[in-house]
Amino acid sequence: MTNPPFIADHPPHPDFNAMSDDAFRAVVRDFVENHYPDIPRFAQRRLRWPEVRPWYGVLAQKGWIAPTWPRELGGMGLGAGKHLVLIEEFERFGCARVHDIGTVMLGPLLMEYGTQAQRDHYLPRILRGEDIWAQGYSEPGAGSDLAALRTTAELDGDHWVISGQKTWVTLGADANMAFVLARTDKAAKKQAGISFLLVPTDATGVTVRPIENLEGHAEFCEIFFDAVRIPKANIVGEVNRGWTMAKALLGHERVFIGAPRLSANALSRLEALARGNGAWEDPVFRDRFAGLAMDLADLGDLFETYVQRLRTGASIGADVGILKIFQSELYQRISEELMQVAGSHAGIKLEEGGDSRFDAAGTYLAARPTTIFGGSTEVMRNVLARASLNLPK
Amino acid sequence: MPQQPDDSVENIRMLTESASAVVPGDGSLDRIRAARFQHPGFSRDVWMTLAEMGWLGLRLGEEKGGLALGVHEAMALSRIFGAGLVPEPFLSSLFALSLMEAAKARNWIGSALHGETIVAPAWQSVPNALDPAGGVSVKAGRLHGAKVAVAAGADVFAVTTPEGLALVPCDADGLTIKRMRMHDGTFREDLHFDAIPCEIHECEKVQDCLYEAMLLHAGFLQGTAERAFDITLEYLRLRKQFDAPIGSFQALQHRATEIKVQLELSRAAIDAAASALDGGQTERLSMAILRARSRAGGLGRLVAREAAQMHGAIGFTDEADIGLFVRKLMVEAGQFAPEYQLRAQFMSLREAAA
Ligand SMILES: Cc1cc2nc3c(=O)[nH]c(=O)nc-3n(C[C@H](O)[C@H](O)[C@H](O)COP(=O)(O)OP(=O)(O)OC[C@H]3O[C@@H](n4cnc5c(N)ncnc54)[C@H](O)[C@@H]3O)c2cc1C
Repeated sequence: MTNPPFIADHPPHPDFNAMSDDAFRAVVRDFVENHYPDIPRFAQRRLRWPEVRPWYGVLAQKGWIAPTWPRELGGMGLGAGKHLVLIEEFERFGCARVHDIGTVMLGPLLMEYGTQAQRDHYLPRILRGEDIWAQGYSEPGAGSDLAALRTTAELDGDHWVISGQKTWVTLGADANMAFVLARTDKAAKKQAGISFLLVPTDATGVTVRPIENLEGHAEFCEIFFDAVRIPKANIVGEVNRGWTMAKALLGHERVFIGAPRLSANALSRLEALARGNGAWEDPVFRDRFAGLAMDLADLGDLFETYVQRLRTGASIGADVGILKIFQSELYQRISEELMQVAGSHAGIKLEEGGDSRFDAAGTYLAARPTTIFGGSTEVMRNVLARASLNLPK
Repeated sequence: MPQQPDDSVENIRMLTESASAVVPGDGSLDRIRAARFQHPGFSRDVWMTLAEMGWLGLRLGEEKGGLALGVHEAMALSRIFGAGLVPEPFLSSLFALSLMEAAKARNWIGSALHGETIVAPAWQSVPNALDPAGGVSVKAGRLHGAKVAVAAGADVFAVTTPEGLALVPCDADGLTIKRMRMHDGTFREDLHFDAIPCEIHECEKVQDCLYEAMLLHAGFLQGTAERAFDITLEYLRLRKQFDAPIGSFQALQHRATEIKVQLELSRAAIDAAASALDGGQTERLSMAILRARSRAGGLGRLVAREAAQMHGAIGFTDEADIGLFVRKLMVEAGQFAPEYQLRAQFMSLREAAA
């Protein structure tokens, strides 16, 4: 698959962080309202690449596709607070989520661990929409126990030869590139023999099979590797040192899932639905709503504290799990309240293109995997108990 | 728990055996999977089988062509149908027929029992309230208003109004039907009535019929939840991570045992309410039914949440059978009324009884 490049075409960015939140918000709002392309708003599913591509293009040309990347690398250079404003405005308007594994996960990883050549090659391709990335970690036998992965990569002259299978790869069918964890030393201890490889999905021997999810969308995929040959240079970091980097990426993902936006969206749906069907006047409902609203506000405060710590360069360590656990469970609790309030209409499956703002069942389903991917709640509690509370194994 | 009479036990044994005509004994869900998302979401052939077995008349008097069996017997089938994810509108048909019998509306009962006419109850006016008189009015012999979340595929609607029961054919002039697909692959309809001429059959037993339907539905939910739990337990034994079956992890064991606790409470509450109904007991019957339905609703939601979580990513696929159960529970747990409304109703009855 080749994606023709979008070329950034804009004057240099000002220092957005120097603006007041309100001023920045106005800039974002104005941009979104005037430039969001003619594609669905408030879509109830992830849009596929051909559908979302126009929006990616608009953002790429404006230089806004990578909000948190440094300005000198083509990003907006936003701090956490401004990034939140951007997300809020995008969601207020109902903007579709673009394919963001490249900007959110791989980009930052290459900035930290990649070679100069890798940065020069891959970062611009992400900015221009030429490379759409997917994350190939999980395998049928390696989920929570990721280090049990069995996909192998062996060096053969100037190439790695990859064999095995990845699964649950989100939007894998839209990607032309995947970052893959593979075992490069079978003799080493579980975590020790794993490397981080960059694989074009159109390489010979790669088969991608979409898997239909509970919502009826083929959003995630299985990817099979049958003696796939990739250049020796397509490794990030040192051989057999992929595990640490993979974990670092999961840390990013957890802050991302721990952000209050999913719960915030769900809570506004709950309010809209309750106002529409009378529950809003019911004092019993109001009590439960107040509990959820307070939980959300407290989560916002906690998120801010952690983000401040990240901003000053401190690490959060295992405690990042607290954010992810609480956010994802709150999201689920709100979604279950939505189902209660929707009563006998709770199971309605939105028609294609329907407005998701009152969609109870869609929210309920979307909330399910957030306690599973990026580290399941159970496993993260295990980690917290040991790493944060120092409890014995 | 009150003893069930011997003939009831024997009836239940026979019903359970013959249920394999509709719910395959080997547990196969192929038919269920295939029928999804195609209107009306169930099979008219299977419907004819239900009729031939006499099950549609399970609760109807013999003089009307029914089997005049007890709630316990109907409950046994309801649980089996819940476990088998049966999409045919069996319970709503029993509800409609009991309304028609109570209202002495003779039209259509015969053809409904023979499976030729499917009658669906249209009783609810907002999706989260127990309000059979709500949403509609009758002026000068014409029906106005709206009802929600009616089982799809019906030929006739049994509409509860403040004046009594109205029977409205699905092709009546002035009837607008908004069809909705549900996540479990069935369909429901919101109905709008615009001055539809109709005969009103007085009916004093709407509440009784509604409460019995609610109780049977609790059994359906329990059946679905119980099988989903069994499938999940099986997965906990099979799936290995960290070199051990995930069912060996205490975090999951404790939550699984909580489901077992809820399951047993639910079964007991349902059976006790069924015995009260069969025994003709009226005191606190409604409260017992609200309790049973509320417990079953909570059980359904708990099992849906845990089954999805304990299966990990595979539980989020359409391919895995557990997903059929999660989506059935999503759709069914909210039928009749959500638990907080059932609890509110329970409190007002409790005050009244004191
Ligand atoms: C929608 C979705 C998108 C995804 N996208 C991607 C992707 O893009 N790329 C990718 O690589 N992966 C992806 N994943 C996979 C995800 O990372 C895994 O699902 C996750 O790691 C859990 O693994 P599993 O599904 O095999 O569950 P399992 O590990 O089999 O876990 C099953 C259950 O057992 C529990 N459990 C496991 N171990 C313990 C323990 N020690 N103590 C207590 N409980 C335990 C789990 O918490 C869970 O409830 C995605 C998953 C989903 C659902």
